[in-house]
Amino acid sequence: MNVQIPIGPQHPALKEPISLRMTVDGEVITDADIRLGYNHRGVEKVAEEKNYIQNLYLTERICGICSHSHSTCYAQGVEKLMELTPPKRGMSIRYLVAELERVHSHLLWLGVAGHEAGFDSFFMYVWRDREIVMDLLEMISGNRVHYAINTIGGVRRDLDAGQVAKILEGLVTLRKRSEYYLRIGATEPSFVARIAGVGFLSLEKAIALCACGPTARASGWARDVRKEDPYAVYDELDFEVATADTCDVLGRVVVRIKELLESYKICEQILKNLPAGDIAIKAPRKAKPGEVVSRYEAPRGENIHYIKSNGTDKPERLKVRAPTLGNYPATVEMLRKGFIADIPLIFAAIDPCICCAERTVTLISAASGEESVVRMSDLRRRAIARHQNAPVKRNAVWPF
Amino acid sequence: MSDANIIEQIQRELRGKVAEIANPAPRRFYLKILPPDLVQATALLRDNLGMTHLSTISGVDKGETFEILYHFSIPEADLNLRTEIPKDKPHLPSITSVIPGAILYEREIQEMFGLIVDDIPDKRRLLLSDDWPEGQYPLRKDWKHVRPTEVIPGGQS
Repeated sequence: MNVQIPIGPQHPALKEPISLRMTVDGEVITDADIRLGYNHRGVEKVAEEKNYIQNLYLTERICGICSHSHSTCYAQGVEKLMELTPPKRGMSIRYLVAELERVHSHLLWLGVAGHEAGFDSFFMYVWRDREIVMDLLEMISGNRVHYAINTIGGVRRDLDAGQVAKILEGLVTLRKRSEYYLRIGATEPSFVARIAGVGFLSLEKAIALCACGPTARASGWARDVRKEDPYAVYDELDFEVATADTCDVLGRVVVRIKELLESYKICEQILKNLPAGDIAIKAPRKAKPGEVVSRYEAPRGENIHYIKSNGTDKPERLKVRAPTLGNYPATVEMLRKGFIADIPLIFAAIDPCICCAERTVTLISAASGEESVVRMSDLRRRAIARHQNAPVKRNAVWPF
Repeated sequence: MSDANIIEQIQRELRGKVAEIANPAPRRFYLKILPPDLVQATALLRDNLGMTHLSTISGVDKGETFEILYHFSIPEADLNLRTEIPKDKPHLPSITSVIPGAILYEREIQEMFGLIVDDIPDKRRLLLSDDWPEGQYPLRKDWKHVRPTEVIPGGQS
């Protein structure tokens, strides 16, 4: 007998609003269906009404984790439309942030994979180390998530020698830890037993269903936009495309850790050959009529923006394809013939995008409707004060 | 494979089916193909050029017509297949028989532009909600969003 189980849009096992409908026969999934749109915000329509520089900040808000990937993809497209050649130093800083973002995104994913596989100490270790790269990003850009470092024609903040030294120092620690995680991820018997063979996606299916990024590379399809369509600085850098041929969640873990190690290599190369000079050039307000396809290797796979200009200061059309959408048909295939218990693990393995991080809070008084903006530190101070004035509970006494 | 070689190969494979090839930037190609030839041209390029990876399908509302672009890539180049369909008879052939991964993108442009993809295996909506009114196509240029007034409980109205 076939039973249909709805998972989502709100479900404790998924951290993102998406509806998966599983047709199951006993414990085995026979068919899966995906319904999207619970988080559809109409960004493409809004982009047609904003000018080029406003759209830069709009595209940054498409994703809460790989925010830099969208704004970079957009900026490099608009720079081509405006026929700008941004200075080398600016480009180095932009793609340094891009690689650090990949590091933070992959570490985040590794933690989630450990958590979904029931290996919570792995999750805590990885997320502890993720703070190193988050602090570096905050030092470079002033923000942990929405870096806002891009501008059309370069970047908005420069690096000094002290920051370069700090980043290099952080990378040494991260590399040491990542090598340890590679050893655990690929050899720890209980972890490997949980993830090996789960979510099988054959190479033929990965190609036919147009999978991209680490999902496709874990099925042995060695395609990476940084390598095959080297944008900006990538043609001068030495790095490998990480692949695995196990076609399962284990392969996706291994690919991502290998990519981390490659990213450290790229960051070090960028920092050691950081050219001197300006970080940005002035961009015109309008772009000549034309069209451009901009591709970027985001942490989750190929990110593509199609921008069409009409001679004004607003784009005629901005089409955005985030890599997660490209991986959904492959996910349906992975879920088929799997077990119900593997759904969170398989679904998390494509690294679907989840939003995070909020810095200032707007408080609305329930009584008067008055709004006030408070800083995180004030909020913390208020919380401590409130706690101190709260009625004291009786101290619990251990009964034995 | 150089850009000139790719143009030559495309012209040889698609004899007569390609109306125009543009190469505005290195590695970027724009091929103009008429809607009836689209499926066959895609199949020929997939089999002979290894064009298997579809990144996305984008549509542009040009007033009288819709311009549909299929963004493909091969390791050596990006191939963008361009086709135009009239707005009053917006029928587009489905390429899912050749590229199964195109299904979500076809469903997306179908509901966003209000065009009909013939022989699409799955006609349902993808992104718009189930109670979205019929005949409202958000990405058409004449469609304007009217923001409903927001009411915050206990907040300023």
